[in-house]
Amino acid sequence: MDSQCVSTLPRVCGVLLESGSSLPDDTSLEKLLDWFTTIAQTGASLLEACPCLVDFVSKVAFNHASGSSILSFTLKLTGLIGTSEDGFKVLKECSVLKLVFNPHHWQEAGLWGDPCLRIGWIQGLKMILQHSEALSFFAQEDLIEPLLQLQTDSSLFVASAANQTLAQVLLLCQSLSSVGHNCSKNRYLEHNSVSIETTQNYSGIITRVSEYLNKSVVLKEISQLPGCQQILRLLAMLLVQVGPPLRDTLLLAVMNSLEELVTTSCSQLTVPLMDVILAANSGLRDDFVPKQRLIRLLWVMLNMKKPAIVMQAAAAVLHSHHSDPTFSAHSARVLLLPLDIVTGVSLLDENSTEEELRILITEQLKRKSCISMICVCLSNIPQITLMASDHLPCPQRLIVTAVLMLLRLCCVDSSSSSAGCVEVVRFITGNSKVQKCALEALLVLSKSPGVKMVLVDVFKVLTEYLNSPSSDPSVLQKSYQAVIKWVGVCPDLSCITDQLREGFIQAVRKRACDTRWEARDSTVEFLGHLGGAPSCRSFTEQETEPSDVFLGGCSFTVPLLKEALQDPESYVRASSISALAQTLTPSWQEGAALTQEQEDIVTRLQEVLFQDSEGFARRAAVKYFIAWLSACSSPSSCWLLMQSVPTVLSQGVNDLDWEVKLHTLELAELLLDQAFPDPSPSHPYAVMSDQAHRLHIAGQQSDLLSSLKDLVDRGVVSALLCGVVDCDRPVALKACQLLLKLRGVVCPVMGNAADTRVFCQLAEGSVMQQVRKIQAMGKDTYVVSEACSEADKEGICASVDPERVGVCEVLRLLDLDEKLSILTQSSDHIYNSPLSLLQDILTAAAASSQPGRDLHQELVMDCY
Amino acid sequence: MKLYCLSGHPTLPCNVLKFKSTTIMLDCGLDTTSVLNFLPLPLVHSPRLSKLPGWISKDGSINLEKRELLDLSTIDVILISNYHCMMALPYITEHTGFTGTVYATEPTLQIGRLLMEELVNFMERVPKAQSATCWKNKEIQRMLPGPLKDAVDVWTWKRCYSMQEVNSALSKVQLVGYSQKVELFGAVQVSPLSSGYSLGSSNWIIQSHHEKVSYVSGSSLLTTHPQPMDQSSLKNSDVLILTGLTQMPTANPDGMLGEFCSNLAMTIRAGGNVLVPCYSSGVIYDLLECLYQFIESANLGTTPFYFISPVANSSLEFSQIFAEWLCHNKQTKVYLPEPPFPHAELIQTNKLKHYPSIHGDFSSEFRQPCVVFTGHPSLRFGDVVHFMELWGKSSLNTVIFTEPDFSYLDALAPYQPLAMKCVYCPIDTRLNFHQVSKLLKEVQPLHVVCPEQYTQPPLTQSHRSDLMLELQPPPMPYRRCSVLNLPFRRRYERVYILPELANSLVPSEVKPGVSVATVSAVLQSKDNKHTLQSVPKAPPVAPSKKRKRVMEEPPVTMAPKPLLSGAVPLEAFLATLQKHGITEVKVEETADGHILHLQAEDTLIQLEEDGTHIVCDNNEPLRATLRDLVLRFLQKL
Repeated sequence: MDSQCVSTLPRVCGVLLESGSSLPDDTSLEKLLDWFTTIAQTGASLLEACPCLVDFVSKVAFNHASGSSILSFTLKLTGLIGTSEDGFKVLKECSVLKLVFNPHHWQEAGLWGDPCLRIGWIQGLKMILQHSEALSFFAQEDLIEPLLQLQTDSSLFVASAANQTLAQVLLLCQSLSSVGHNCSKNRYLEHNSVSIETTQNYSGIITRVSEYLNKSVVLKEISQLPGCQQILRLLAMLLVQVGPPLRDTLLLAVMNSLEELVTTSCSQLTVPLMDVILAANSGLRDDFVPKQRLIRLLWVMLNMKKPAIVMQAAAAVLHSHHSDPTFSAHSARVLLLPLDIVTGVSLLDENSTEEELRILITEQLKRKSCISMICVCLSNIPQITLMASDHLPCPQRLIVTAVLMLLRLCCVDSSSSSAGCVEVVRFITGNSKVQKCALEALLVLSKSPGVKMVLVDVFKVLTEYLNSPSSDPSVLQKSYQAVIKWVGVCPDLSCITDQLREGFIQAVRKRACDTRWEARDSTVEFLGHLGGAPSCRSFTEQETEPSDVFLGGCSFTVPLLKEALQDPESYVRASSISALAQTLTPSWQEGAALTQEQEDIVTRLQEVLFQDSEGFARRAAVKYFIAWLSACSSPSSCWLLMQSVPTVLSQGVNDLDWEVKLHTLELAELLLDQAFPDPSPSHPYAVMSDQAHRLHIAGQQSDLLSSLKDLVDRGVVSALLCGVVDCDRPVALKACQLLLKLRGVVCPVMGNAADTRVFCQLAEGSVMQQVRKIQAMGKDTYVVSEACSEADKEGICASVDPERVGVCEVLRLLDLDEKLSILTQSSDHIYNSPLSLLQDILTAAAASSQPGRDLHQELVMDCY
Repeated sequence: MKLYCLSGHPTLPCNVLKFKSTTIMLDCGLDTTSVLNFLPLPLVHSPRLSKLPGWISKDGSINLEKRELLDLSTIDVILISNYHCMMALPYITEHTGFTGTVYATEPTLQIGRLLMEELVNFMERVPKAQSATCWKNKEIQRMLPGPLKDAVDVWTWKRCYSMQEVNSALSKVQLVGYSQKVELFGAVQVSPLSSGYSLGSSNWIIQSHHEKVSYVSGSSLLTTHPQPMDQSSLKNSDVLILTGLTQMPTANPDGMLGEFCSNLAMTIRAGGNVLVPCYSSGVIYDLLECLYQFIESANLGTTPFYFISPVANSSLEFSQIFAEWLCHNKQTKVYLPEPPFPHAELIQTNKLKHYPSIHGDFSSEFRQPCVVFTGHPSLRFGDVVHFMELWGKSSLNTVIFTEPDFSYLDALAPYQPLAMKCVYCPIDTRLNFHQVSKLLKEVQPLHVVCPEQYTQPPLTQSHRSDLMLELQPPPMPYRRCSVLNLPFRRRYERVYILPELANSLVPSEVKPGVSVATVSAVLQSKDNKHTLQSVPKAPPVAPSKKRKRVMEEPPVTMAPKPLLSGAVPLEAFLATLQKHGITEVKVEETADGHILHLQAEDTLIQLEEDGTHIVCDNNEPLRATLRDLVLRFLQKL
């Protein structure tokens, strides 16, 4: 820790003691605590580092005048100090511990009612509960009582923290008693008497907790509901965290209450109750007696008379990956039941045990609440598909059929009716929530085996949705995603008939002209994804592109996307640019000849870069060139690309949007990598004669020279030099890294001879200014610096044109390493340092203590 | 109260309500779907149409769906709810002996006039030398092809009216404003309410002092150009007559508008033309407004839009001047001042041009690709016929149907085979079933009367039980030619009492807050108003020496007998009887009260809720005593 902080801290403590509650910015306390935590975590003793803290803590504890935020802070700080056994001892010796963690002390002071203080108490307590000393203290002071009271505190934050602390207490009991059993021979031998005492403590605590849980897991009247929910959450957490002997004890303690609670069939308790039952069930030994009782409980939950509860319970079973296949199979049946009833597709065979549930669910489906029930059913289909096929009630293909039927029923324009529940149709028709859930399910189902038979149906339904005037944009987006997903699993697309294709093309064409930009955007994105989708093989072993099959290929897609480049909505423009890149990538990879259309696109993209008012479109435009450059098999032979790169670089690096600049630098990086590919690692034992070595160097020099000249000509170097002085840190950082890379490649090889000098034109004067500034800072700097010689100086000064610089010279002159180290630090590293925090507290306190200053004004300033 | 239903078309209603001695016709819509049986009337000679085998293009008449269910001359008033529902007006008011008044709002009258003018113009500018009627003979009709063979009542189909008849009919219209109360013969009061469907469209309240009938026709809850619907005034109706719901219950107008725009843009981008057959007022304003916003975003800035109709200019201009009938948003624009509809700007910037017909200026300025809005939506007459012939052969062009009144497949039949793309985007902003059930829940009428079509799901979507009215009690359905007895009886009539008569009353309180007085007066009924006047005092008898004649004697005005009220409490009465020496009383309980048998006197006293009888033979003193005892317990008025 830095000495300045050490010297400032006592003063800060003094200020905190004095200021009471009038600290203007209470986040500073949080920051202070964070800082102390980091100190403690590094292994250093907090008390050694900051000896003044104990004094501070004891003063606050005896002085009630402090505000609740300071008190809360102090409680947490006490906990932090007590985390280490040494710190704990010190606190105990100066009798702070007893006072601070005594709830009566705070109750008498009338401060316990403040949740802020209670949470400080709990968190402080949780922090010290790391060692046996603390647990003994906890037991001796009988802190279990107040902690249990806080489990159902009116403040949710307090209750939740109390839950976690209780879990911590039990875990500590568990670990210490196991240590006590195993290691009593060596370490705890001398503390034998203590050990017995502690063991008694533990069992006392555990008994107390068990009693408490048993008493609290009840629901006699509705006012107990929130408390009951909280206790069930606690119980589920405990059952997940604690290990066997303790777990069994807890389970046995609450078993009766749980059985009683299940019979209340209160729907609000279903989820927490299932969490408890499933947590109790997982990893339970078969010989454990209550296992049968737990299994029975699970069956009771899954056979309730309330369909909503049964569905929730079944969903919980599926999500928990319950090991017993009978349960998951039953749950899957329950969850598929609504789909079966609504669509009339018989997913489930006749099963008399479900007859009653079927009647109940059918009744429920005639009400408006059917929407949520169907959605629960659909959203669990992913879990169902994960099940082994022999546990599934029906082949997955049938589920696909049912989902398709449901989608048809939901579509406003289709007139199909089902053999299923007729009453439900009025609620689900045109309901976009059900539509989205069903499409989501369809997405997942694309991986099902044997779906080839329904392929045509899937595309028909999706086309229907894309065509329907009443489809919500989000539904359209999901439909497009489903098309892409199903195209991906198609073994071949020969099943796509002309009629289907015609309908599909019409729909896409129409959506590209939709009045809602979201719909246009999804359409354009879809075209891109389809263009980028992997090709499939047909029976004739001919490769077919999905976009060719569906839309007739680029001749359809590209004009549509070109049109979208003019869209008034910037998101759509951006998406269309990315989609064009995706669509054209295959032709770039093949090195196909350029078309007039592509030339038009490039012209348009340059317009976008120069004129578009929105960043999204400009970012996409730069990325288009990145995609092109990386896909192009031989970039240098593509004249259009090479011609446009300098423009993109010079425009992009001067953009107002930092992301555009960053992407531009990525483009520059690509060019850099292509110019200087990673040298193949030279043979470690290769021997090279002196002459050969010299020749080699000379060859390298000329290669490098031409590459560097190329880079300069394309504007890469000037873009980097422009970027390195950019005010946006990520941009400057990236440019700096790239320049360092360039320096690493170029400078060691290139000599200083005049014939190897490469000059670079700089449009912006900024980097020039900086270079000149370095020069002006005194010749000593670079005379001392071995990296630059006299020739460099000439290189800069001798150039006739003041805007021209020598590349190598600049690279050596700019202190790139120093720049990099500055740039890698986060921009707020100064303002976030502990010292700055301490000083802030002092200044704020000083300012507020000055008479006549308006505190509120200060606060307002702080907010901004 | 009776309702005569003259039209079976739910959106073109024509009902007659007889209510308190008035005969009120509610709307007179004209169902023109029968024109679909005829060939289109081309503006220029069409070799294709004239060469169709077995078809001769020469007839063009209109079906008037009216049955002589009642004598039209007896109708006192006609209430018009919107301009689409008044197209049959000349058939009702002319040559029928009609002498009543027609009530409508100003925009309804003006735009209705435009639509009628347009119809007459469409018909008259392609005059026919002769009209065929022989085919209407049953024998011949039987042999005709297709739907014509099955058409019923072809003899009732009438020729289109003339401009002269239109003017005469419209001269009988009296203008009313929203919420204005119009009294009909003192018997009922009618007043129009904003219905939110079109400019000046209205629902009507027909009420007497104790009864209220609401007539809801063509209403909309969507925010389009007209003033929003007035729902609250419909509350507490005894009967609500519900007509004019949307014809497209499954098509959401917003979705359709979007569909319209995207199809339009798609066609124009591909270099094709778009034809929109539409009425010259109504939805077209919304279409133009929607396009105004869409043009820029779809890069359609240079595409010309043409609106061709004999009344195009008037329609566009009228819409701008009816500011008070517009929605709040548009009204506020007027104060800026700005034209309320953006089509003014489209016209100014030359993006929208309007012409009376394809002849003249239009032919010289016509530029393709373009968008043409023109009538008639049936595709049987009007300029649209020309464009169908012109553009039908190219698959680049699109015809977009937006009016829901005609089946687009039937409308297209005579133009087949057709290469042109057809898109059906029916835009009907009228109430859908969901909105109606909400509305009815809100206004809670006692009874609902509606066309029978609304009481079952549409034929094509029989599984959609949500596309029908489900009410408790169930609505009363009507069909063409039915006569409904509306299910409520008038029980009360308001009677006025003159001040001097009121002054002379002596009320006596029968229970707290309720006082009763007896009135003797003369009831005068005039103009369906009833007044109680004081009984004229007998003129002072002139001293006359003449011998009085019985005849001349003024009627002796005897003071009316006092009225009794109250009940005889049994216990107290028995006690009183006992006090008067009557002890042997046998009390028998009956359904209505008690029978007291005075055994010694052999007398019966029947105490009932609304009467007391004393039965004793020939013992007048006892009867009088008993009567007086009973009277002690009763109040006299």
